[in-house]
Amino acid sequence: MKGSDSAPLHRQGMDYGESEDVQKVHAAIQREKQEPRVGLEPLSLWLIGIYALAVFFGGAYLGRFSGSFSGNSLDPGTVPTKSHGPGPGGGGQQPQQELTPAERGKKVFAANCAVCHQASGLGSQSQGYPPLAGSEITNGGSRRAAMVVMKGLQGPITVKGQQYGSAVMQPWESLGDQKVADVLTYERQEWGNHGGPVTKEQIAALRKELANHPASFTGPDLEAVPTDANLPGGEEGAAPPKPGEQAKPGAPPQGSAPPATPGAQPPKP
Amino acid sequence: MKGFTPLVLGILATLAFSWLGLAYIPDLQIGHLDPQSDEEGTDIYPMPKSGMAERGRRIYVANGCFYCHSEQVRADYAASDIDRARDAAPSPPSKWGDRRSAPRDYIFDRPALLGKMRMGPDLANIGKAAPAEEEAAPAQPSPANPANPVPPGASPPVANASPPPANAAAQQNAKPAAQPSTPTEPAASPPATNASPTPTNATAQQNAKPPAQPSTSPAPAASPAQAATAPSPAASPSEFPAPYSAAWHHQHLYAPRSLNLDSDMPAYKFFYEKRRVGGEQSADAINLRGEGAPGEGWEIVPTYDAKCLVAYLMSLNQSHPLNEVKSAAPPAASPAAAKPVAK
Amino acid sequence: MNPTEIPLKSPSSVTNLSIGDVEQVERALIDASTRVPVLMFYASAVVWLLLGTLLAGFTSFKLHSPDLLSNVSFLTWGRIRPAHLNVMLYGWGSMVGMGTAIWLMARLCRTTLRHPLLLVTGGAFWNLGVLLGICGILMGDSTGYHWLEFPSYAAVTLFIAYSIIGSWAVLMFRFRRGDPIYITQWYLLAAFLWFPWMYLAAQTMLFIVPVQGVLQAAVNWWYANNLLFLWFGSLGLGTAYYMIPKVIGRPVYSYHLAAIGFWTYAFFASWTGMQRLVDGPFPAWMITASIAAMILCIIPVATVGLNHHMTMRGYFPLMRYSPTLRFTVFGAMSYTAFSVLGVVISLRSFARYLQFSEVSVAYSHLGLYAFFSMIMFGAMYYIVPRLVGREWRFASLIKIHFWASVYGIGLMTLMLLAGGMVQGMNMDNPTLPFTESTQSVLPYLRGRSLSGILMTVAHFVFAYHFLLMLLGLGRTASVPTFLNPVNPEPGEMVAH
Repeated sequence: MKGSDSAPLHRQGMDYGESEDVQKVHAAIQREKQEPRVGLEPLSLWLIGIYALAVFFGGAYLGRFSGSFSGNSLDPGTVPTKSHGPGPGGGGQQPQQELTPAERGKKVFAANCAVCHQASGLGSQSQGYPPLAGSEITNGGSRRAAMVVMKGLQGPITVKGQQYGSAVMQPWESLGDQKVADVLTYERQEWGNHGGPVTKEQIAALRKELANHPASFTGPDLEAVPTDANLPGGEEGAAPPKPGEQAKPGAPPQGSAPPATPGAQPPKP
Repeated sequence: MKGFTPLVLGILATLAFSWLGLAYIPDLQIGHLDPQSDEEGTDIYPMPKSGMAERGRRIYVANGCFYCHSEQVRADYAASDIDRARDAAPSPPSKWGDRRSAPRDYIFDRPALLGKMRMGPDLANIGKAAPAEEEAAPAQPSPANPANPVPPGASPPVANASPPPANAAAQQNAKPAAQPSTPTEPAASPPATNASPTPTNATAQQNAKPPAQPSTSPAPAASPAQAATAPSPAASPSEFPAPYSAAWHHQHLYAPRSLNLDSDMPAYKFFYEKRRVGGEQSADAINLRGEGAPGEGWEIVPTYDAKCLVAYLMSLNQSHPLNEVKSAAPPAASPAAAKPVAK
Repeated sequence: MNPTEIPLKSPSSVTNLSIGDVEQVERALIDASTRVPVLMFYASAVVWLLLGTLLAGFTSFKLHSPDLLSNVSFLTWGRIRPAHLNVMLYGWGSMVGMGTAIWLMARLCRTTLRHPLLLVTGGAFWNLGVLLGICGILMGDSTGYHWLEFPSYAAVTLFIAYSIIGSWAVLMFRFRRGDPIYITQWYLLAAFLWFPWMYLAAQTMLFIVPVQGVLQAAVNWWYANNLLFLWFGSLGLGTAYYMIPKVIGRPVYSYHLAAIGFWTYAFFASWTGMQRLVDGPFPAWMITASIAAMILCIIPVATVGLNHHMTMRGYFPLMRYSPTLRFTVFGAMSYTAFSVLGVVISLRSFARYLQFSEVSVAYSHLGLYAFFSMIMFGAMYYIVPRLVGREWRFASLIKIHFWASVYGIGLMTLMLLAGGMVQGMNMDNPTLPFTESTQSVLPYLRGRSLSGILMTVAHFVFAYHFLLMLLGLGRTASVPTFLNPVNPEPGEMVAH
């Protein structure tokens, strides 16, 4: 078919409609180039260099920040193992069996308390974190220490002869009774402290008692409580108050002590 | 390239690969989570929401609220969501969250409204920002309405946004059974959260869960001192409802700029009815002053949809601790060196 | 200068490659057979474009002036925005993409289009689905999933429509004439195979057998990014691979680059969904995988960019004349810019600030407008004359369209990037109240509304011009409508 040979320069546009008159070919097609083809140039070295860089960075990123591809690690830089230090990743599930309360408490401490009070228990005077090592509150009766941990502390307070008060301690009762008890047990026997252990039941009872108490305690609140006041229900519980020199570090105080008469305890401030 | 079949197979395989990786395997990993409970099997978190709150979620979705509001709190190393205090909240203000959000927080959410933009604040814990007496409680009449004080013994006169009492036990927002407790500052409630060690704020925050309260049925002991209970911190109590209370949410939905001049939120007046006051003003009427206020003898009341929406908002609370997520540590210069240097 | 005053040249002296008569006739037949379906898709797409543009104007203005028309439930911002988005995605974007793909498939498979009625039916159902969906959203039936807001009745209609269209496409491909398979055909076939699967997977995992909790968001964004990259991206890239070499009459630079570009794209681009959820409540590896995939997407982007660039090398001046080339090259360059931006905003250190800001809107629009829509405009400028037998009437209108679109999207991107960065920085500063971040972005949003006006002008001008073509009021000539006067020299290749 030679429909287009005698084409005049000036071809009117066609309206195809139903006409399939193939003699009349639209001018656009006539002037069109051929359908696209592909050349075969080789890859340039620069491009291969870019590929290598992309693969390197992409791969490195993937390796570094994948939290070992576990479904449990929400944080990119960590590995969800059992014993992990303080920090964002420290929230991995911790197996609780076969550990003593102090050992459990140590983990709780590392995850929550060490940030301010330091792993050494020495705190930081400049930042306003009192020490726990050798502190009167930690070493004395369990009541005051438990009050502080449960409800937090603010305002001026004197610990080991030094003034603190620029920092505010948040309440930690949301950790749950077991963890509060464990961390108190831990800190009361660590760093040379000689306070006795604290049980979950004691904390539960304290929680009930403090349920309506406003936010945190202050220095005067604590001073109103005798230094050797213990929480009822522990080993020291029913005994009349005495300088609490119970050094029983590792003994799990799970005994079901009868609910002690809190007669010796002062009413809550 | 030659060959139709290899091309097709390759095309299908590449998509299959990504589907396996980003949809199927994550489903195996986190697709079948159960709520968390403590050793006794109580304190279950999260719980499915009540009927009104679920309906409220549908309304939230239908009106595209999630296009401006997110519902996810990022970790403290990733962003300052946790450090951020809620605007216009009573002092000390509640934060956007105590901890980052985790997959377990959303297992009963459909759709999970994580959100993509923040023209408005994050809402993951907006229910927690409510005044303590009101968490999961129905809308209280505004205190500026002395003509209709809440009778002391009456459970809130409106069967409003309250989840059925049976749920109260399971709800992490168990209404403090101490209903007659002092109607003052939200600060009066037991604290839970985040006080920064550098004391810009003093004490307490609203608590999600007065811990040792067995949840009784909401029959408060009558206390004669029980006038209009809505607490009123910050601004003059007669003018604005308590921030993030149900009444506040209603007014915010109706006329956002009456509460916050800088707000960019559209008004949702179509959720409210303007009608004549019949006898007494309704307990849940919006108390609008100034521009846009209804005239004498008229009131603005929420429709059922509005109440459900507010119920949904009041139910948003992720403050319950999770075992797998660390609670926010004090943000001060901390040696928590394990913060990964994210690229 | 009026294009009709350009001295006409005999076609054979303008092209320096001879086309066999048989081939010419074959193409004429093919074009004739594609006429009704493609024009129908194009016309529908343009109508949706106009509707979507109006909705976009609403969305933009209401964002910084929230009291505008705020008391009507079906005009509330939270419904207008998804309506705009879905009209653009499924009404404009998908239909213009499918229309172009139909024509390209027919041409490249070198068979006339059989069963045009099938395509017309599919197109009609698709239109119905979009209409139902938009009405559903405005009435309050939105599903709550990004880019999937159409209620189920609309989604099912879309899927039925697609099964008709998609199976046509695959069959067309199956019965093509001639090997080897050209690059464009890989991309188009891939797009037509990927779309139903990603759509079905998303619908299943979100509605039929729903996944739990945050996984919904993961599946949602897996789908959304796949729609962007594997549906619109493939259609756009495939079209560019046809239009650029076709218009300038040179082969594509390298087959190897094209192959690598295609397969790495297929491999990596579909993993990027989680980039929209950085630092969200997910196992970290999912997010990291998406970020790594975005980094690795540099490979296909660099490859395709180089390929196009080397193809065009020495022929950039032709952009002065050819509308198609202008739009397509602009689109191809935007593809590179869009991908680079994507990598930057995905990295955790930047996502910290930009995650919840307007920058993600800028990113989406760079991809969907500056890249995809501009390439589609270019394709329409090429294809429509071949279907209606007329040339575009007014070069000035084409120029207005081009520059208004370019300035529009350029201003929009600038405003949203700058505004988003300010917003994000303020949002990350916990000493500032939150409303500070919102307030700080409002001026930029007003600037964005201005850019919306520009784009509205562009689209209405284009729609008017297109209407003229449909009504047969185009120019009758054998020389295409060039944008600038042509100074022809012997052998110069300025045909179109």
